[in-house]
Amino acid sequence: MNQETKPDQTKGKMWHGVPREGMEWYPTINEDSCDGCGLCLLTCGNNVFKWSYAENRPVVALKENCVLGCTTCGKLCPEDAITFPEDPKAFIKNLVIKYKIYPEVKRELNQRLEKFPDHVVESNGVD
Amino acid sequence: MLSEFSKWHGIPRGSINWHPIVDPNKCTGCGLCVVTCSEKRNVFGYNKKTHKAVVLQPENCMVGCNNCEISCLWNAISYPEDISYLKNLAESLDKGALETELKEKISKSPNLLL
Repeated sequence: MNQETKPDQTKGKMWHGVPREGMEWYPTINEDSCDGCGLCLLTCGNNVFKWSYAENRPVVALKENCVLGCTTCGKLCPEDAITFPEDPKAFIKNLVIKYKIYPEVKRELNQRLEKFPDHVVESNGVD
Repeated sequence: MLSEFSKWHGIPRGSINWHPIVDPNKCTGCGLCVVTCSEKRNVFGYNKKTHKAVVLQPENCMVGCNNCEISCLWNAISYPEDISYLKNLAESLDKGALETELKEKISKSPNLLL
């Protein structure tokens, strides 16, 4: 299934071993500021937004699909019309500490490097 | 760089200054940045000897995303530009071209319609 047809995958969705369900992280569009350019809908890879022809602008439809801590749409919005429940850095830090995710992150890191062996490097990279 | 990421709404990706920078002196090697970045973009590599994340494919970085920086509790990741850079970039995009792109995306994925 390609990204364009990705449905709401909230059920059973995990964030580093922790259920995504019930975590409050999603964009909110200020209707008065939004000029309907659609950049948020175009940039989101998780179909959080849908297009409303009635209102001629994007609306937040699947907020549970939003990547925890992601504010990409908000940072790009030319009208600054998108906000999030709280500071992303504080939000993620609290989750990382509360759920002690690092053992799971280590497992995920090893899986990633096994799948992409060319990402195991011996230099200090580009930057 | 993957060819599908070679342009960002018509702008050559290579001309956009947006990618993480890892400070090896602050990086603890936890790997959260590596796995926070999607497998498709996979911007990071990892040095198993020094236990440090390294930026391997900076031009695969999604313009506007800094989820790796957000997730780093040691503030070891920075970006070369700030939000005002992104705003200027977004404002410079051709509205008509965005509209065309939007229509194409919606016609390919009718479930994007409310």
